[in-house]
This record gives sequence, structure tokens and C-alpha cells, in this order.
Amino acid sequence: MVQIKKKKRPDPEIPTSSMADISFLLLLFFLVSTVIDVDTGIGMTLPEYIPADQQTTVPISKERLAALLINENGDVLLNNEVIAIPQISKTLKPRIESKIELPANKKLIISVKTDRKTNYNLYIQALDQVKLAYFEVREEYALRRYGKRTIDLNEKSEELKDIREKIPIIISIAEPEKIKS
Amino acid sequence: MTFKKKRASSTAGIPTSSLADIVFMLLLFFMVTTTLREVDVLVKFKLPEAKAIEKIENKRLVSYVWVGTDGRIQVNDSLTKLEEVQKIMYAKRTALPNIIISLRIDKGSDMGIVTDIQQELRKASCLRINYSAMIKI
Repeated sequence: MVQIKKKKRPDPEIPTSSMADISFLLLLFFLVSTVIDVDTGIGMTLPEYIPADQQTTVPISKERLAALLINENGDVLLNNEVIAIPQISKTLKPRIESKIELPANKKLIISVKTDRKTNYNLYIQALDQVKLAYFEVREEYALRRYGKRTIDLNEKSEELKDIREKIPIIISIAEPEKIKS
Repeated sequence: MTFKKKRASSTAGIPTSSLADIVFMLLLFFMVTTTLREVDVLVKFKLPEAKAIEKIENKRLVSYVWVGTDGRIQVNDSLTKLEEVQKIMYAKRTALPNIIISLRIDKGSDMGIVTDIQQELRKASCLRINYSAMIKI
């Protein structure tokens, strides 16, 4: 009997040379579709809502308060004095610095008040200046006290806790007035 | 006299077998970091610029409110009325107690609408907010 010779098949193989191309395509897709948008902004904490009839007024000494008023024409008033927006941080800095060593109930409170017609951008610029003043004071305090910059400090470290305790950012958004004068 | 050029005997070649692995690594990185945009922003807005800016570390906590150039308000995926903001935000806050509301408000807006939204947020006790702004260089 004639033996049928088995045809020798070539070894099965998956072609891998095009794999790189395919994965490059996928990679490109994800590269293009990725939006690494970091949310940046000015953080604030709103006061709790208390109905108007339950509100109580707490007297605050003039020494503690820095009132910042922005009207609809873009004029800025800081403690009843007209001021240009870029000057705010410079004016506030000495006042914040003078209160570093004071107890928590004597720290500076900045009250920001705007008109209904005030431009939002102006409000942000003013708020930015206030924040900038605080950040600069914090930065200088950190350098003086610990010899480190605030960004180099650990989020949970004692140093940062101390800085936040010594220089708390207290910005009060004034209750909007119902009647426009 | 002519010089015979000396040639290296071995054939030069870049090993390409590991290329696929490297590419896959990159691919994985981008796949993991990609957050496909879930919402369509229906309003047109331009953010204000500021210097003293903070980053929001935890993106899961963030919820957005948009206010466009024309004063329309968008929460979630659709345009909403001012009166409805409180209800939506309250529901969000109960699901996520330490929610941060990022206010993406057009820089040409009036403070009136901003205070109105803030009042609504206060009523819904969403007190942590963030005025979204671009970095001023």
C-alpha cells in the first residue's frame, strides 16, 4: 500500500509586524481625544444660608474689618478710600501681616461687596488681588519661619497647618441687598 | 592608490520587537488618563483671568455650573432656570456631601446673576465653590 505522505504544513504564525502600526493608530486616537484640562480657579466658601428674619448681627471692630466695595462703574472702595485694583494686595498685605500673631478671633476679615450691575471680571480681579495678598503673606511667613516655600510643604504637614492657622483666609461675601439705591 | 572602504561586517538594525510593547505602554497611559467629555457645553463663555489660582485636586467632587455670554445657565447637560438650580444642587449634594461647585461664568456677566446663583447654592447648602479662571501670565 502506498503510504500517503502528509503534506508538511508551515508552522502557523500570527503576523505581528503590523501590530505596532495598529497600536500606534489607537495611541494616536487617545492622544487626540485626551483633554487634560486642569480645573483652576479661585476657591471660596459661601456662608450658610440663614433666612433674613433669623439673621443676627455680630459687632466686628473696625480694626478687624476691611471692606471692599466694587460699584457698577468699576470703582473700588477699600475702607472708604478709592483704590485701583492692582493696589489692593499691596494695601492689604501690611494689615494681614500685623495680625499673624494675634489670636484667631482677631484676624482680619475681608468683606467683599458688589453691585448687581458690577462686571464679573472686575469682581474676580479684586478677589484675585485679595487672594494674592494672602498668598504672599503666607509665602513670606513660611520662608521666614521654616525656610521653605509653601509649595514644598507637605499637604498634611504641621508646618502648613500652622501657616493656615496663623494666616487664615477669611473672605466674607456680603449679603446682597434687596433694594438697589 | 585607492583605499578600500572599511565596512562593518555586521548588518546594522534597530530591534523592533519591543516597539509594540512600548507603544502599548503609552497607549495604556493615555487610555487611563483620558476622561472623555461627558457633557456638551451649550453656552458660550470666556473665563476671566487671575493670578492667585488654585487647582482642584479631586475631580470627582466637582460639579459645574455654566453661565454664558447671554446669561443662560447650564447645569449638568441642559439649560436650566435659576429657580431650578437649588433643587438640582440639593440632590447633588445629598449624593456627594463635600461637593465643590465650579462656577464657569463668562467674564462679561453682571454680578447680579452670580449673586443669584450663589444664593441658590447657599439655599441648597453647597457652600464650597470655585470661580473658574484662567491663569494670567
